[in-house]
Amino acid sequence: MNPALWLCIRLPRLAHEASIADAAAEHAAMERLAAWAYQWSSLVSYRLADGPLLWLELAASRSLFGGHAALLANIETGLTQLGYSHACALAPSPTGAALLTQVGEQRCVTTHSQLRSRLESLPLSLLALPPEVLAALHAAGLRRIGQLLGLPAAAIARRFGPAASLYLQRLCGAASDPRPAWRMPATYGARFEFLAEVHDTTAMLFPLRRLLLEFQGYLRGRDCAVLRFTLEFEHYRHAASGVTIGMSAPARDAAQFLLLARERLQSLVLPAAVSALRLQALEFTAASVVQTDFFGSDAQQLQQLQLLLDRLRARLGDQQVHGLSSAADHRPERSWHFVTPQQSTPGPDTRSPARPCTLLHNPRRIEPPVTLLSGPERIESGWWDGGDATRDYYVARAADGARWWVFQDLAEGGWYLQGLWT
Amino acid sequence: MTIPLHLGSQRTQTLEQLARLCRNAESGRAPWLAAPSGFAELDASLPGGGWPVGAIAELMSDAVGIGELSLLVPVLSRLARAGRYIACIAPPYLPYAPALAQRGVPLERVLLIQTCSLQQSLWATEQALRCTAVGAVLGWPAYIVDKNVRRLQLAAEAGGSLGILYRPPEAARESSPAALRLRLHALPEGLAVEIQKVRGGRAGLTLRVGVAPTVVA
Repeated sequence: MNPALWLCIRLPRLAHEASIADAAAEHAAMERLAAWAYQWSSLVSYRLADGPLLWLELAASRSLFGGHAALLANIETGLTQLGYSHACALAPSPTGAALLTQVGEQRCVTTHSQLRSRLESLPLSLLALPPEVLAALHAAGLRRIGQLLGLPAAAIARRFGPAASLYLQRLCGAASDPRPAWRMPATYGARFEFLAEVHDTTAMLFPLRRLLLEFQGYLRGRDCAVLRFTLEFEHYRHAASGVTIGMSAPARDAAQFLLLARERLQSLVLPAAVSALRLQALEFTAASVVQTDFFGSDAQQLQQLQLLLDRLRARLGDQQVHGLSSAADHRPERSWHFVTPQQSTPGPDTRSPARPCTLLHNPRRIEPPVTLLSGPERIESGWWDGGDATRDYYVARAADGARWWVFQDLAEGGWYLQGLWT
Repeated sequence: MTIPLHLGSQRTQTLEQLARLCRNAESGRAPWLAAPSGFAELDASLPGGGWPVGAIAELMSDAVGIGELSLLVPVLSRLARAGRYIACIAPPYLPYAPALAQRGVPLERVLLIQTCSLQQSLWATEQALRCTAVGAVLGWPAYIVDKNVRRLQLAAEAGGSLGILYRPPEAARESSPAALRLRLHALPEGLAVEIQKVRGGRAGLTLRVGVAPTVVA
């Protein structure tokens, strides 16, 4: 088994950068970061007291992500994208990694001997020991961590207390150093509070991007995807409002989410100024099997189409995007209907005479046509459903040269235009 | 070669034209990838032998109902059967599903997008043209300026799709950056197609095209 390898991330300005400096917001921001970090490691832990620290155990995952240097670069890029200042360090012990986040350089060591030699030259003041212990060490003439590590453990325990001794052993990875493993919540919720009320949806895009990037990390960590998520807007003087953003295929890509959210926000009318933004996802599905370069072009094309349909729906509304299907009914107005795109059902009824390419939404009453080119074709149907129709259909020529599909209603004798031979 | 900078807004256009001319000269091919129209007379008069894939074609019909959609049905059927989608953006009349199916257009490949404004229609047209899964986009803009046609042209190029704009007959009096512009006149039997503009080909021809509907088994 590989020796453990801990990445520690110090987040010196977490509370400030999460926008509101209070304990609850800091805790929520750390929870979101832990969820985000879960995509890299299945053992994530954090501590908020004495400066926020986030740990990821990487020994198991480094081979998956192309070595720890590549992995570390990915994680640091991600943190910068999220907008958090950070200092990362890598060491075989979590306590050691936490200490190394405070030094300026050479913050990555992978073996116990490297860690030990790296620690030896560092000043004692970096040790996370109580101030009175540090003062006592200083008074004893010790300046470097190496000098302290050279002393027998029993002597340290006797003079400075067992806690200090244990701390030093954990620092070097000589004593076990268990960390409470962070548990992934079953549903996802994240909230961003604005410093001042926001009136314009474009002002939400920046924090929204961070929420979506963190959400993407959570989805990757759980290895799942969503078909929809909700954006909720909190208002001071109004009940919360919100929009649901849906996808036609399971997705977990922050860029795609942001694109759809932007389209949706553009046409959104807010009932009041927004004080906070909340992202919520309650249902998760398996990630879509369609990947960018693994399957054939059909799958990719389908994915492209779904992205298009999602964008159109987000901007224009769900009710504006249709597919067409024919239906088994002789009355032209009932022989077709809208369906969800790609969901058309019955095949063509090739036995019926040729039909015009376009239909009017409702038949329009006209004067009896002068020039009839062909017909009649009797269509008689619907006595069983109240849409009773007995009609004779003709192709007629209009004055402008257009060919019309017209019928005479045999019940009342009137003439109607129903289709155009476009 | 130096390009004078003072050309201003025309500069992009000029560069675009130059780039295109260079490409054509190098390849010695038609200015576009052609999709056969299914009408031999028309194919013979279009460079490459068909509709311009990756470009915009404008159709200006004298009246509604003279066969202006039937003219496209063979190419739409061909594209859809090859697995690509056909997007109709805000059509003024309903495309009639049984008739399309009758003529060999697989309905599951047809998308119908409704919009509330011209701006939305143009946006949706551009999005659809850019999508590589879509083979042809049909639009009916009531009004469109050159700048937007050019924008759609670039989208068609990016998505490799055929963009069809139905425009009112009055539009024939103005110029347009579209790659192909056809005027359509009613004939007692069929349709007269007048080639008003064709990139890389000869304009001015008028062809007689038989667009009588045929049922595909």
